[in-house]
Amino acid sequence: MTINLLQDKGMPLERQGMSWKDMVGKPISKLDDDAFTRVRAILMNGLELDSLRTKQVALRCSADARVQLAQLMRVEQHQATTINWLIGGDHSPLETTIGYEQTAIEVTAAVAQLEPDPYLAQGYRYALLEDFDHLYRYSALLDRLEGKDANNITQGYTDIVPARPTWEHHRAPEHDLLEPYGPDAALATKLHALTLTGGEYQTHDYYMNIGPLFADPVARQLYAEIASVESQHITHYGSMLNPRETPLEKLLVSEACEVWNYAGCVAQETNPRIRAVWERFLDYELGHLQVALQLFKDVERRDPAEVLGDGLLPRFIEFQSQRGFVRHVVENETQLRKAGTQFVDTPDEGESSLAYRGVVNAAGSPSRNVSATWSWTPGTELTRGAQAVKRAA
Amino acid sequence: MQPTTTGRNRTGAATAEDGVRAMLEANERWAPAEPIDTTLAEADRGIYVIEADAIGSIPQPVTIQGMLKTGFDKLIGERPEMLMDKIGERIAFERGGTRLYDALIVKYHTLVEGGEMPDLPVPLEADGADVPATLGRIRAQEHEHFLMLSEVMTSLGGDPTAQTPCADVTGVASMGLMQVVADPRTTFAQSLNAMLMAELADNAGWELLISLAEQAGETDIAQKFQRAMAEEEEHLATVKSWLTALVSAPTATVAA
Repeated sequence: MTINLLQDKGMPLERQGMSWKDMVGKPISKLDDDAFTRVRAILMNGLELDSLRTKQVALRCSADARVQLAQLMRVEQHQATTINWLIGGDHSPLETTIGYEQTAIEVTAAVAQLEPDPYLAQGYRYALLEDFDHLYRYSALLDRLEGKDANNITQGYTDIVPARPTWEHHRAPEHDLLEPYGPDAALATKLHALTLTGGEYQTHDYYMNIGPLFADPVARQLYAEIASVESQHITHYGSMLNPRETPLEKLLVSEACEVWNYAGCVAQETNPRIRAVWERFLDYELGHLQVALQLFKDVERRDPAEVLGDGLLPRFIEFQSQRGFVRHVVENETQLRKAGTQFVDTPDEGESSLAYRGVVNAAGSPSRNVSATWSWTPGTELTRGAQAVKRAA
Repeated sequence: MQPTTTGRNRTGAATAEDGVRAMLEANERWAPAEPIDTTLAEADRGIYVIEADAIGSIPQPVTIQGMLKTGFDKLIGERPEMLMDKIGERIAFERGGTRLYDALIVKYHTLVEGGEMPDLPVPLEADGADVPATLGRIRAQEHEHFLMLSEVMTSLGGDPTAQTPCADVTGVASMGLMQVVADPRTTFAQSLNAMLMAELADNAGWELLISLAEQAGETDIAQKFQRAMAEEEEHLATVKSWLTALVSAPTATVAA
């Protein structure tokens, strides 16, 4: 089915509603479902939470849209619940973390290849290398703290090796920014940037919530360190968004972004029960888009085609292993650093980042310490046998 | 609920041979195996251990009688605060244990109503009581143990509603047990496995508590604890026998 954002109406907002039983359905199987089903659940939860965030900000800025925004948010809240509750209680917080990083890697790599703007594509590849490194550090923690194999979660789709080391991700704030896309940017560009911004927000917020649940001080440190980097990534991707878009324009892009992502999930979901969730929510989002289109026309007196073009959806994110692309980026771009909004080689990195890094790493690096000498082994490091382990005295 | 059968479990390396081969190739390029050295993280952990505060304190006795008693026991070289802490631990464990059996009973009755529950052996000491009655009795005994421990804590001048450090720690250690029993996807046998962990720890906990009460010269209290422990030993034997019966059954059932 080809969807047109300017023509397809979806389910009217007033007919959308769910019971608590609808929201709290059966979770996915950690053991049996495909890893990309979990990837889609994590991605779409991030999108829903970001759509709520966008609307809350719009509510503070838009006197003429308050009722509609409140009505939309009620449904989005329940959609987010339905999706987030797909993660079963047998996922430990650290196992879910592995799922989050796999989502970041595979989705960012796919988006980097779809992005028509070469500068922004560079931006995706840049942060991709950092989330890729986070997967390696968290996998080491999972092995050495819980005795579990991260590949039980990632299912062979994603390499677990270091890239740009996490202790070098810490930049001074002025070097986290990117140049934003302009008003004439392709719709795909707008949707890519918003998708990644929402994803990073979700990851950051998750780490900020679960970090303190750990008793182990090294785990607490690692979550503190990587949550800080995820906060930088929110700035990195969030600064791609055109700051001159009005709140109702942002609402329009947000609703279009949800339609685009749900449609991509519907097209690729392998679990029929979960596909039905995506289909239902695609129908909901088309209904939400109707509200956003009407507000844009009534309040802003602007033509939605200014923002959505011909209304055709850009190519979907491909939910499949991006191993070859990721390896190419690891091989060729790990040495890149930031200077202001530009990507530079290591020697040209912004100096204030070096000073900042000296402060945060002054008492050592959690990411380095947790993963020293670790390499992923099927069935965990312990399958390497009873070899001597050098330990603290 | 569905029976647990063989199926499309995707977690193992063997189910993604090509992917795992590629991952090992990536290792050779970016993370070749080297001698394992965990010095750095362990040194960090050691520093935190040295610098750590206690998890919390044992509450002060709340009555004059309790204070006198505590002081008296201290004079004879015992550690009454440790007895109070461990009683607090058992209060927490028995209270949590009662709730574990509540969750187990729901699962049991649901399976029975669905015709999915195979016959389980009735323990010898049950005097002919059937399985639901036995489950109900065990649950009631866990509850009685909680109430008895609360009375003992009060008689020693303590506050049975306070969460002592050992109560807190045992709560942390037990968090996974309720996660297993309350999960609608887990079988009755998987739930019993969690109950087995609880009962094994509970039996060892009562043993230790009896020994502490005896050391403190609290012979009346020690006798009460011994009666509770005798019941806990029955619980352990019953849970073991049910679990064994379910997992040894010749055909797969929803319950196992």
